[in-house]
Amino acid sequence: MDDTTLQVYSVVFVAITVVLVYTARYFQARRWRQRQLDGMKRIPQWITQSIESSRPLHLSFGNAGVGGDNTPVALAEAEFFHQVVRRAESCDMSPVVSLSAPTSLPLGQDVLRRAWLKGGALSRAQWYPPDLAYASAISALMADDEPAAHIMAGSFGAELALMLDSAARRGQPSLAVSDRLDGQAVAFAQADHVLIGEELFAAPGSSSQDGGGHGDAAVLDVWRALIISGATILLMLEFSKRLPLLSWPLVAIGVAILLLLGIFTVWRR
Amino acid sequence: MGRAGLAGIVAFAVGLTTVLSLLLGNNPALFGDQPGSEELARRLALPGDVLLRLLVIVIALSIVIGIVNLLYIHIGRLTRGKFYSAVLLASFAFTIFWLTVNRGDTSLLEAVQVPIESALAALLFLSLALGGARVMQKRADIWGLLFVAVVLSVLLGSLPLAELAPVRAFSAWLLAVPVSAGARAILLGIALGTIVVGVRAVLGLDRSYRG
Repeated sequence: MDDTTLQVYSVVFVAITVVLVYTARYFQARRWRQRQLDGMKRIPQWITQSIESSRPLHLSFGNAGVGGDNTPVALAEAEFFHQVVRRAESCDMSPVVSLSAPTSLPLGQDVLRRAWLKGGALSRAQWYPPDLAYASAISALMADDEPAAHIMAGSFGAELALMLDSAARRGQPSLAVSDRLDGQAVAFAQADHVLIGEELFAAPGSSSQDGGGHGDAAVLDVWRALIISGATILLMLEFSKRLPLLSWPLVAIGVAILLLLGIFTVWRR
Repeated sequence: MGRAGLAGIVAFAVGLTTVLSLLLGNNPALFGDQPGSEELARRLALPGDVLLRLLVIVIALSIVIGIVNLLYIHIGRLTRGKFYSAVLLASFAFTIFWLTVNRGDTSLLEAVQVPIESALAALLFLSLALGGARVMQKRADIWGLLFVAVVLSVLLGSLPLAELAPVRAFSAWLLAVPVSAGARAILLGIALGTIVVGVRAVLGLDRSYRG
């Protein structure tokens, strides 16, 4: 595919996404039942524990920062953390927001300014140098502040293992998700609860009553369904070329069965 | 118009300009073989270049803000009697002093920072091994079992023993087909999320513009 075709496809793809976002927000996605994210179920309980024990929640962006490749990750997690901080507002201690990308420091402070209405929490947004230095600083924070729980959603590498291990040794529960594959694998192995892949972006909608957040999650689901359907059809077509026993009607029936299975799975959720 | 509306308009204008500039700029083929198409493509790329350069300057400045934040936090902790904060502040002051006296000397970095990071990297390996061992405690289900089985297969497959040739072949297949497919699926999901959130930000629908 040459550059021009790629650019045209990109423009078309972005334009369709714009239309979908506006459409979903127009209807406020009220009738759309968002998928349940298993990893999110414990968050209300952690907020209650934080309020009862006067211990802060720890929210971590990792290395997600504004200006880099993971800007959308930082924005999505800022929205997610906003919802969590709003719910934890009855706690005596404001949540600690840690990050290792300096450009997300204003974002972290903004989350605390908007959501922690008691004020005086801006110094709870803390920057530490990235990677291993960040992991060791967070391990120290776990000992000093004794957070009620850790929500690590952003950009992490293998250094996430040090932080999650430290949290596990102190009996502090954790939820982790990363936009990097190494961090995601570590999160799956070591975190108490985990989100995977695009759930990183669906989390804000799942934790809010805001129709806009639900709308974004709905757009994600629509794109996902389209891509899965397209991949399934292409796969069956490829098979039909290689296997002479498969004919067009059989391919169509196979695709229909797979799509029905997909719809049934979504409906069951 | 409120401050939020203005912020949204600025975000929309800057976002749209950058997107269009990056998509349409520096590609004369988009405008056919007409005369002046190269100049048009170059001009279209200019706003994107300028805005991205501004971004680099902002990122550089934000590092200074990060360091100030770090010092502020640890001075606050020092007043609460946190010993490690005193170590951090003393190290910071000594490093600044060292760099001022011995301009360009990286021996402090090589003698302190590199060994400490190496030690942490070794510790990271232990944490990863321990985490792998704990998977079945945390996830005693089919997915946890599958995770452990795949990890063991790949580890065994990496051993240079002739007896393990079938395991090595199985491990190579695992990495080439299911692991690769799973990794692509995760990355595809993240890419979709990135586009949706990016569109939301460019359209000024993000919460951070709402004042």
